Amino acid sequence: MTSQRGSQRVLLLALVAVTLLVLAASIRYGAIDFSIAEISRALTSVLPGRPEPTLDQRIFLELRFPRAVLCLLVGASLSVGGSLMQALFRNPIVEPGLVGTSSGAAFGSALFFVLGGVLHVGTSIWSLPFAACIGGVISTYLVFLLARSREDGRASIVMLLLTGLAVNALFMSAIGFLSYIARDPQARSITFWSLGTLSGASWKAVEIVATSTILGSIIALRYAKQLNALMIGEEEATYLGVNVNRLKWIILSVNVVIVAVATAFTGVISFVGLVVPHILRMLGGADNRFLIVGSALTGATLLTLADLMARLVVRPAELPIGIVTSAVGVPVFILLLRRRHYVF
Amino acid sequence: MLTASNITFRVGQKALITDVSVSFAPSKLHLIIGPNGAGKSTLIKVLARLLRPQNGKIEYDGVDVQHASEAALAKQRAVLSQAVEVAFPLSVREVVMMGRYPHFGGRPGPADERIVDEVMAHFDVTEFSRRNYQTLSGGERQRVNFARVLAQLWRDGLTTNTSSCRYLFLDEPLTFLDIRHQIDFMKKVRAFAGDRDVVTVGVVHDLNLAARFADQIVLLNHGRLVATGAATDVLTVDLIQATFGVKPTFVAGNGSGVHLFFD
Amino acid sequence: MKNILIVPAVAIALLSAIGCARFHNAPSDSKDARYVVISPIYNEIIWALGAQDKVVGIDLSTTYPPEVKNVQTVGYHRALSAEGILSLHPTAIIHDNNIGPPQVVQQLQQLNIPMKTFTAKNDSFDGTKALIREMGAYFHKEARAEELCNTLDAQRTASLEKVKQYSDHPRVAVIHFGRASNVYLVVGKGGGGDSGGVSQMIELAGGQMAVENRGMQRMESPEIIAQANPDVILLTDFGYDRLGGSVDQIKALPGVATSNAAKNNRIYRIEENVLNYFGPRSGENIAKVAAIIHQK
Repeated sequence: MTSQRGSQRVLLLALVAVTLLVLAASIRYGAIDFSIAEISRALTSVLPGRPEPTLDQRIFLELRFPRAVLCLLVGASLSVGGSLMQALFRNPIVEPGLVGTSSGAAFGSALFFVLGGVLHVGTSIWSLPFAACIGGVISTYLVFLLARSREDGRASIVMLLLTGLAVNALFMSAIGFLSYIARDPQARSITFWSLGTLSGASWKAVEIVATSTILGSIIALRYAKQLNALMIGEEEATYLGVNVNRLKWIILSVNVVIVAVATAFTGVISFVGLVVPHILRMLGGADNRFLIVGSALTGATLLTLADLMARLVVRPAELPIGIVTSAVGVPVFILLLRRRHYVF
Repeated sequence: MLTASNITFRVGQKALITDVSVSFAPSKLHLIIGPNGAGKSTLIKVLARLLRPQNGKIEYDGVDVQHASEAALAKQRAVLSQAVEVAFPLSVREVVMMGRYPHFGGRPGPADERIVDEVMAHFDVTEFSRRNYQTLSGGERQRVNFARVLAQLWRDGLTTNTSSCRYLFLDEPLTFLDIRHQIDFMKKVRAFAGDRDVVTVGVVHDLNLAARFADQIVLLNHGRLVATGAATDVLTVDLIQATFGVKPTFVAGNGSGVHLFFD
Repeated sequence: MKNILIVPAVAIALLSAIGCARFHNAPSDSKDARYVVISPIYNEIIWALGAQDKVVGIDLSTTYPPEVKNVQTVGYHRALSAEGILSLHPTAIIHDNNIGPPQVVQQLQQLNIPMKTFTAKNDSFDGTKALIREMGAYFHKEARAEELCNTLDAQRTASLEKVKQYSDHPRVAVIHFGRASNVYLVVGKGGGGDSGGVSQMIELAGGQMAVENRGMQRMESPEIIAQANPDVILLTDFGYDRLGGSVDQIKALPGVATSNAAKNNRIYRIEENVLNYFGPRSGENIAKVAAIIHQK
């Protein structure tokens, strides 16, 4: 094995360790700090024959623990989405939301906030995530449709980027319109949702997001080698045996699913998908087999840390997590922009 | 053997290539020349099956490649382009290893690593192994890409043995090279082309290089085949003047054939 | 044999007791009650009743009286976190049905956290008094509640006397800035919810609501104000300050410039919690509102 792959392996192992550490911190600290003894008692309370768990134990089991796990999953899915998009568009300044997924999901939720009360739909907690998912899928499909060339049905990457920008603008103004016609409390709900929050976490949510994240990542890894080939150009990738059009559709679909599902449960969380793959590339190179796994781990860690900060800084109140990720992500993003010269 | 029969390729209404038929034999270096817009690059892309012609067919060893899968083609056919731009920092070794992608599933095996070592040594790029491809000069990059392409076509007693031909296409590969590198490059191409089961087809602009290195020259103009054959048959005063609009003067070189001068 | 076992048994019991204290559910009798109250009006009334020692958490929008600063905030009422609220170990959460996000409300219900909403609503003087009495009963401060109601009545009577001295009944238009929707709104006559208090206060203060439609509407067309042709225009504090108090900019809002109010420069600033509010301070507020709208 080459030394490059050797150092990548070491880095990945270190990342696993860091992720576990951060998970432990996230479980322990927050509005309530749980000691190790308390945690183990809470965990054993679910065993048969034990007395009913106390309120604090239930808080740990039903709120804190699933939230910590959901952080890992959402952080991982947004980052994997980011690395896939950057590989596909051969451009480091690309976010999973670029093909319209995030704004579509946000629009779906805004629609739910405004109409839900009127139509009396959505008394189930699944209604909001479902609305967001549908929104994300529709907006992304719209981008695909519009970006296809009339001659041969292929969607060049430049067209996808431009169409993505246009569709994003469309949905963002639609959201603005919904805020405009909404009553004040609904408008505020829309605002806060678009800043992102992990407060709605539950084991059911974990189940769903885990499925999409793990499945999506496995599929992505299977195409990692083809994405590598794509890095030297669409033509070159074709010469190396890659069916580029099919690759684009598969990777974009994986991206839509994992990002829309995550966004559906947590609202829009920006910059994670943009910044994490960058950091990984600087540390260990651009090979997608390494990048996808590394991004998942790093994204999981960073989002968990961000959520920890969001929960500690003004406790017992919470900051919307989008504020934390933007506060860190924007300066990093600007730094990255200034360091590099981009060639299309 | 590579056979092109009655190839016509159109984009919209405009025909870039019209009714071109030509054969390319193995163990020979075939060079396509012609003025700008003659359709040279298009023809190479059609021969490599990146583009599909509206009319005619391409046959590799008598088999129509129309329906071949990308993966199957990639094992026997490689293309060296003008310039390869890489959007992310990749090490030279990673770029060369991509040439082996059609040959392994998940991870490269020891054979692939060995081939990459040999091919990098052959092109003198071993010292760049861990360098970022983006920091290399044009000439260095072409050596790396040539290494990659040869890695893709590599065959020796230890790799899987098939009896079919391999196909190497060179799409204006000399564009960003200085004169020393151009000549060095052509020599290496020539050496590789002499292998008994490789068909090598390239596009060049420099008529002197074509004259010096080609076994067969294919002259295109306005998307049509003007002439094909040995250098002495194709590089005549009349043909060159009619196609390129300049008049050549022939001067004998010291032992290595003929040189063309233009006023 | 027994003696040997006693020591570890006691140790284990002691350790469990210490460990369990953290997780012990607080008893629910009112002496040890701990409330998280998510509603500005509820909190104002609780402080007025003198029951605030049981309040352990309030929402971000609760700002009156100034003493509420001493209590921890659990965040914005539509962006709550269950864990944050529960970290204060409340025995009950008191709210006015305006909390979110829905997932968090569900979580609190799942954990069987007692939640309380009072039935009376502060949408009128009578409603406010009913609320004060209901809350007085809940917090065992009935006597104080009666005092507050009496004070409220007395202040209202006094204010209405003052209003009688004004002979005019100006037509008043109220313009409010909706911060979430980022747009200016005109408050209409009648209708509950967002604008319930406003028309009542204006009328009690001797004015008439110039705009007839119910509720709040966006100032999309100049006709809304132009047709109403108010004698006086009030802007609530945030919307007024946002334009820097510049009369010219205010006149630039749709329909304002042609109105009587603009021509006579009778455009005034008013605190939102004086006008769009019903609570213990409403009695005095009538006089304040009257003083503003009857200015010349």
